[in-house]
Amino acid sequence: MSAPERDELAELALKRVIASGAEYGDIRLLDSTTQTIRGEDRRIASIRERQDRGFGIRVLYHGAWGFAASSVLSVEEAPRIADLAIEIAKGSASLASEKVKLADEPAHRDSVVTARRIDPFSVKLETKTALLLETMEYVHRQPGIVRSSASLWACRDRKLFVSTEGSRLEFDLLALSGDVDATAVHDGRFASRSFNTPHLRMGYELIEEANFLAEASRIASQAVEKVQAPTTDPGLYDLVLDPEHLSLTMHESCGHPSELDRALGYEANYAGTSFLTTEKRGTFRYGSPHVNLVADNTEPETLAATGYDDDGVACQQWDIVRDGIFVGYCTNREVAPKIGETRSRGSNRADSWGSVPIVRIANIGLEPGRATLDDLFAEVKRGIYIEGHGSFSIDQRRYNFQFGGDAFWLIENGKRTHMVRDVVYHGITPEFWNSCDAVADRSHRRRYGFITCGKGQPGQSGWMTHAASHARFRNVNVIGGSSGS
Amino acid sequence: MSTTGHKTWPKLTSRDEFRFISEQMLKRSTGDHTVVTLHDRHNGTTRFANSQIVQNVDTRCGSLTVTVTFGQRHGTASTTDFTAGAVQEIVSRATEIACLSPEDPEYLPPVEPQSYLTPPAARVETALAGPARRLEYTNEAIGQCRMENLGAAGIVSSSVATVGVAASTGLFAYEERTDARFSLTAQAGEATGWAAAAHRSIDHLKVQERTLTAIAKAKRGLELCELPPGRYTVILEPAAVAGLWSSLLWMLDAKSYEKGTSAFSGKLGRLIVDKRLTLCNLPAHEDLLGVGFTAEGLPTVVSDWITDGALKQLSYDRFTAKAGGIDRIPTLDAPCLSGRGAPLPTLQDMIKHVERAILVTNFWYIRTVNPTDLTLTGMTRDGTFLVENGVIVSAVKNFRFHESPLRAFNRVEAFTNPAEAITSETGKFLVPAMTLSDFNFSSVTRF
Repeated sequence: MSAPERDELAELALKRVIASGAEYGDIRLLDSTTQTIRGEDRRIASIRERQDRGFGIRVLYHGAWGFAASSVLSVEEAPRIADLAIEIAKGSASLASEKVKLADEPAHRDSVVTARRIDPFSVKLETKTALLLETMEYVHRQPGIVRSSASLWACRDRKLFVSTEGSRLEFDLLALSGDVDATAVHDGRFASRSFNTPHLRMGYELIEEANFLAEASRIASQAVEKVQAPTTDPGLYDLVLDPEHLSLTMHESCGHPSELDRALGYEANYAGTSFLTTEKRGTFRYGSPHVNLVADNTEPETLAATGYDDDGVACQQWDIVRDGIFVGYCTNREVAPKIGETRSRGSNRADSWGSVPIVRIANIGLEPGRATLDDLFAEVKRGIYIEGHGSFSIDQRRYNFQFGGDAFWLIENGKRTHMVRDVVYHGITPEFWNSCDAVADRSHRRRYGFITCGKGQPGQSGWMTHAASHARFRNVNVIGGSSGS
Repeated sequence: MSTTGHKTWPKLTSRDEFRFISEQMLKRSTGDHTVVTLHDRHNGTTRFANSQIVQNVDTRCGSLTVTVTFGQRHGTASTTDFTAGAVQEIVSRATEIACLSPEDPEYLPPVEPQSYLTPPAARVETALAGPARRLEYTNEAIGQCRMENLGAAGIVSSSVATVGVAASTGLFAYEERTDARFSLTAQAGEATGWAAAAHRSIDHLKVQERTLTAIAKAKRGLELCELPPGRYTVILEPAAVAGLWSSLLWMLDAKSYEKGTSAFSGKLGRLIVDKRLTLCNLPAHEDLLGVGFTAEGLPTVVSDWITDGALKQLSYDRFTAKAGGIDRIPTLDAPCLSGRGAPLPTLQDMIKHVERAILVTNFWYIRTVNPTDLTLTGMTRDGTFLVENGVIVSAVKNFRFHESPLRAFNRVEAFTNPAEAITSETGKFLVPAMTLSDFNFSSVTRF
């Protein structure tokens, strides 16, 4: 669909919304292209390219929402969908006891384009499949490896957002990632190790700059070492967590509880609520003074840095936890006024044209400290160093969590010694973050993206990036990775 | 029945339309083999929280996917645009991808024409349900909670889809499917009670009955005590049983089994759970969500997966099935777990006859901790109670469990007849409520 055709469709729809007497309306037209190449056990198992086009119209009528969407992009369908969204909003209004009032936001007219050196869709397929096949060959060179997988993923979103308040925003956004996994068997057990590039908004240079072949050899060797490694005794250990591992810990135990819609009960029936209830803002000690968690949707290349969110609110940077005290939420235009904030933080995002935008975790990251990684190890007598993601589970208010990891090494008398397996640690969120006594410096900072963050009914996948340097946590409860007999 | 024959809007792709579109695509393809799939869906969800609607959505999305093959090289492209130009474009793109792909040693040609069961996958009342019907159920749930001075959060949804597979081998499959869901979390301050339903027919959601269940659980949760972690006898309601079985069934992949990377490796034919338990697939069962065919156009089949506690079946991809000489690939789209014995107790009987147990409504965030022995973790949620001397005496703070279903379901003390079960993290099952001994609760949370 050409740009004038998209504008015509948007205008048609929003005219209907305005004529209905609705106080607000917007339309998102999205054209997404996704390419997924998946390798498994030395073969290319699938190459899929998906074109996903459609539009969604949101209407706020007498303080209540309606939303309708369609993959049929036509001048006949646009008014039908607009009318349906209006009708639905009127139905919602019939049960509305508290009317939605949106926080003010200036009208924006802008265009946002992901900076890229190499368009991932311009890179030859043969180049990509050859990379994955060679990567898997490197994995299988390691004796003891029985399975491998490798994949590349790229997504381009071309989006137009137009609102009845006068905003008109165009987006041309890229995101991509690559990964490789190795699985080894030993003595009736099996274990995997993985390497992932972060999901970032970049061009194919992200893949070219990641050394897949070297990483394949490294993880294959570590998978074999891992499956043969001894277990550890349960007990209290000091933990040193790498940035990739911390990205998940932060996501689950800080990101989700800082979503204001959860704190206000919007997700009570599915994703859950939050222990960070609104009266705690500004006073609750979430972590030690070493813990500074900053939401930054302005950092280039990160997934939530899209210029504007799906409310048409400009991306921002703000504190979630400052010097260990919980101070801020992720918000949208609907929920921000409910805690007396005059402007949304710009964290309202939908995962497709067919989904209604909801509050999403921002790019929340742990601010660097002053230590080196060796410093973190040096002050540990008996501890465990954890890299990567493993098993994870957390209660619906985000208190009680349990995390595994992808690789574990024992730390003894200040030195990282040998690998161990089946490590799982358990904690209560504020107790865990209060046990943080050191964070490594900016040179250790790494970013990791998430594209499968589940929330909402119907379910949606949220995208965001979490950055951290390595950090140390004292006396954490480590339990075994088996339920015993 | 045909929902596309009724006056519904938007009109989904009919059988004849899919036949026409797929024939055009198959004709245009120059590949040795071509497969076209259709998924055209209209769904709506009314979502409420704090006793009012917070989302009210209606989405129509159709997609066509084509896979083109030359020899062992294949490529796949899909689009949501059904215009002639866009359809031609994906055939061209899939062709281009196939030509550039390396050979796939596991590629198999498309399925030959099949005959299918015709499960009652679509119900006209669901296809015709619109925003007004969803609003009616929403109003009922919120209203009943309000009368008890409770908060309400939940969803009412309904969807209708047309699904098809056509291939250059002459394969043609087409089906209409409907799905309706209701779930409710009733809130009494900190205490919550939950109930949920999923059915092909929106008339069978039993909104009033399930709302009362959620309300009763929330009200019982007002008196809360904390118990220490440890091993307890548990009475798991069907949703909690379904959560554990769902994780177990995910791990039955035959390829992993053969490579030694499955918790079940070496266990085919052996007892894996209590020998009174049997799991089978019943696609035509009216209370399950079975379908007529798989994404590849294979027929779904009635099949036994676990018989008298012994593992009888694995989950096969076509290549592994062929290599293993499996002619008919079993499917697991409509699982039913049942226990042998008569007469079987009801849930109330099981509560009445237990000396001390934890009654679990549902589990949440179940994840694998150790794939080698299938140790799982997760939390209890929205209704966890202490039962003493046959009576529910109080709610208890939620526990985290750390347990393998391969061990837990060998400690079965009692079970009911199978009942409908659905959770936010599982598909629909028929499973019994069960009493299990020595269930491992590894920690407690703050509420």
